[in-house]
Amino acid sequence: MMLRPEEKTQRGQRYVQALRQQFGTIIQEETWQAPEQVTLTVDLNSLPAVVDAAYHQHGGWLSVVAGNDERPLNGHFALYYVLSVEGDETHNGSEPESCYLIVRALVPPNKPEFPAVTPRVPAAVWYEREVRDMFGLQPVGLPDERRLVLPDDWPADLHPLRKDAMDYRYRPAPETEDETYEFFDVQGEGVLQIPLGPLHITSDEPGHFRLFVDGEHIIDADYRLFYVHRGMEKLAETRMTYDQVTFLADRICGICGYAHNVAYSNSIERALGISIPERAHYIRTILLEVERLHSHLLNLGLACHFVGFDTGFMQFFRVREKSMKMAELLTGTRKTYGMNLIGGVRRDILKEQRLQTLQWCKELRQEVSDLVGMLLETPNIVQRTQNVGRLEPQVAREYSPVGPTLRGSGFPRDIRVIHPYSAYDRVPWKLTYKDGCDVLARTLIRAEEFFESLSMVERCLDTMPDGPILTEGFNYTPHRYALGYVEAPRGEDIHWSMLGDNQKLYRWRCRASSYNNWPSLRYMLQNNTISDAPLIVASIDPCYSCTERVTVVDVRKKDVKIVPYKELERYCRERKDSPLKA
Amino acid sequence: MVLKLLREVLKVGQATVPYPFVPVEVAPGFRGKPEYNPEQCIACAACTIACPPNALSMETDLENGVRTWSLFYGRCIFCARCEEVCPTGAIKLGADFELASFTRQDLTVQAEFRLAECQRCGAYFASAKELEHVLALLDQAWKGQQSLSEDDISARKALLRLCPECRRKVDLPRVKELVHTAWPAVEVLDGRI
Repeated sequence: MMLRPEEKTQRGQRYVQALRQQFGTIIQEETWQAPEQVTLTVDLNSLPAVVDAAYHQHGGWLSVVAGNDERPLNGHFALYYVLSVEGDETHNGSEPESCYLIVRALVPPNKPEFPAVTPRVPAAVWYEREVRDMFGLQPVGLPDERRLVLPDDWPADLHPLRKDAMDYRYRPAPETEDETYEFFDVQGEGVLQIPLGPLHITSDEPGHFRLFVDGEHIIDADYRLFYVHRGMEKLAETRMTYDQVTFLADRICGICGYAHNVAYSNSIERALGISIPERAHYIRTILLEVERLHSHLLNLGLACHFVGFDTGFMQFFRVREKSMKMAELLTGTRKTYGMNLIGGVRRDILKEQRLQTLQWCKELRQEVSDLVGMLLETPNIVQRTQNVGRLEPQVAREYSPVGPTLRGSGFPRDIRVIHPYSAYDRVPWKLTYKDGCDVLARTLIRAEEFFESLSMVERCLDTMPDGPILTEGFNYTPHRYALGYVEAPRGEDIHWSMLGDNQKLYRWRCRASSYNNWPSLRYMLQNNTISDAPLIVASIDPCYSCTERVTVVDVRKKDVKIVPYKELERYCRERKDSPLKA
Repeated sequence: MVLKLLREVLKVGQATVPYPFVPVEVAPGFRGKPEYNPEQCIACAACTIACPPNALSMETDLENGVRTWSLFYGRCIFCARCEEVCPTGAIKLGADFELASFTRQDLTVQAEFRLAECQRCGAYFASAKELEHVLALLDQAWKGQQSLSEDDISARKALLRLCPECRRKVDLPRVKELVHTAWPAVEVLDGRI
C-alpha cells in the first residue's frame, strides 16, 4: 500500500461517527480500503439522504459514481457514490481532516431501480444518467431522463456493462435512423437556438452545443457529448489483464494520459496493499508535473488564439516544444509515456537526463515569463476575459467541478493538497487559487501553476532519494477494490478499480476531470455574448480537436441557423461582421 | 508590448525545420519501431502474453508442427513490454518512428518455428528451440550438483522431450515410488490415489 509510516491511522473516522449517529442502522456495513478510504453500505432508500448529508453537512464533493454488476458475487447490483469529504470551513474547531467516503447501496436485480440523488446533490446528474445507460438501473426522480452515453440507435434493453449483456466486440444493429435526443427547448420571445458542433471538445468526445440566444446574448445552453464513446471500461474488464490496463489508461486522454496512468496504478496498488519505492514516488511526481507543463502551455497558447493574439499562440507553442522534448528525454516518448507498472516505474532518471532537464527548466522559466508578460500587456486580454464566463461559487459548490475551473472560483481545492499521493507531501510547493470566478482567473491560475510545476520538477530532481524503482513479487487477491486519484492539469482524475479472479479487472470506473466540469459549463455560458462562447469553453480547457460547426437558434424569429465553427471562432477573435447578420 | 514581441520574434528566427527533408533527431532511449531478431527468438510466447494491444500474436499448428510468431506494427503502441519480458533479447525497440506504408503487408513481420516431436508418441508439443533453450539452461543449473548422478540427469532430460501426456504416463512409476515412501498406506492405482 502507499501506506506511509506516518499515516497508519484511519483518516475520516469523525465523519463516519457523525453519519452513524445520524443514520443509525441505515448504515449496514463499514469497510476500509486504505487509511483514507472508507466504504459505507447503506439501505437503498436512504441513499440520497446519506449522500446529501456527506455532501452538505461534512464538506463533501462528489468525485465519481460507479455502478457495478455484482450479481455473480452477491446477487445484487451495486452503486458506489464516491465523495471527497473535507469537513466544513470551520472544522468545528479541530484540525482539518479529509477522506474519501464511499456510499454504497445494493440494488436488487428483480427491481432494478434506485432513488435518484440528483434532486439533492445536482453534481450526480451525469453519473445517474450514465448508470442508467450502462447498467439499466432506473434512477427514480431524476430530473433529466435523457441518455448520456449510449447513442440514439442503441437497443433500449441492452446495457453494455452488465456482465451477461454482450461481448466487447458486439455491435448491435441500429434501432433507428433518426436523432431522438431531445435538446432543451427554451421558450420566450426573441430566443434563438445556436447548435454548436458536433465538435471535439474534450479529449475524445466530439460534442454538440446548442446555445439559446436573444440577439447576441446567451440565455441558456445545452450540449451533448459522448459521440465517440470508446468502451474502454468494457475492453479493460474483458480483454486485458490488470497489469496491461496501465497502458490503456495512458490513452484515455492525449494530454493528461500519465495522470490517468498514475491514478489507475495507485488504485490497484492500494487494493493489493503494495508499497512502492520512494524513488518511484518522486519519478511519478516529476513526470506528472512535466505533463502539466505542456498542458498548461497549450491552454495559454489557446487563450492567446481566442482573443485574437495569434503571434502569442505561435510563441507559446514554440516554447511548449521544450516541455515535449523533456518528456521524450525522460520517458522515451513525447506522449503516452507508458512509464508505470503496478508497483512502481519502469525507467530511472539518470544523471545526464537530470542535468538536461534542470537546464531546460531554467530556460523555460525565462521564456514563459516573458511570454506571459506580453500576453497580460495585450490590451485585449483583460477586457475580453474579465467577468466573462462567470462560475459563481454557489454553482461550483453544487456541481463539484475540479481543477483550475474550481480554483478560479475561490476554492483552494487541489487533490495534491487534500489527498496527497506520490511525493506531493514530501516537497514544498504552493497552491494557487483566485476568486475572480471568470475566464481571466482560470487563465492566470494556469500561468502561475506552470511556474510552480517547474519548481516542483527541480525540487524533486534535487532531493529524490536513491534506491529501487519497482516493487515486484506481490500477490493478486481477488475482488479487492480501491480508489486511485491524481490532480491532472484539468483537475481530479479518479479511478475506482475492483479486481476479478482471473488476472483481470472485475470493474474499472475511470473518470476524467472534464466529466465533472461539463455540467457547470451551462452556467458559465449564460449571460454572455456568443462571441465569447469559444473563449468560455476553452477556459475549462477541454481538448479541442475536430471542431466543426455551430447552430444558432433565434428565439425571436424562431429560426435555426448553422454557423461553421471556424466562422464563430473567427468572430470570437475579430468581433466584427457577426455571422448572424447575413 | 509589440516591440518586445517583435524583438522576441527576431531573436528566435526560424523555429521549424524543413522536415521530412531534414531528419528529426530523437532523444537517446526513444521508444520507436520494435526490431525483431528471429535468430534469438525461441517462440516461448512471453511477449505475446505481455503485449497490451495484441500487436504480437502466436499461432500453433499441431497438425503440421509449425508455430507462427507475428508482429503487426499497425497495432503496436511502442510500450516496450515485449523487450522487457523477452528472455533472450530477441526484440528491442529502435529509434525508427516513420512507419507509414501503402500496404498492410509492409506492417507485418512473421517468423515460423518448428515444433518438437514427442519421443514416445510423435505428437508435436512445444517449440523445438524453446525446448533446446530450456535443456541448455538446465544443463548449466545441474552441472556439478552432487545430489544428481549422470543417469538422473539424462533420465530427466529424456522426460522433457516427451509431450505432457506421455510425460505423465512415463513418470508415473517414479511418482508411485515417492508416494509410497511418504505415505506407505496409500495405494496408487492407474494414476489415481
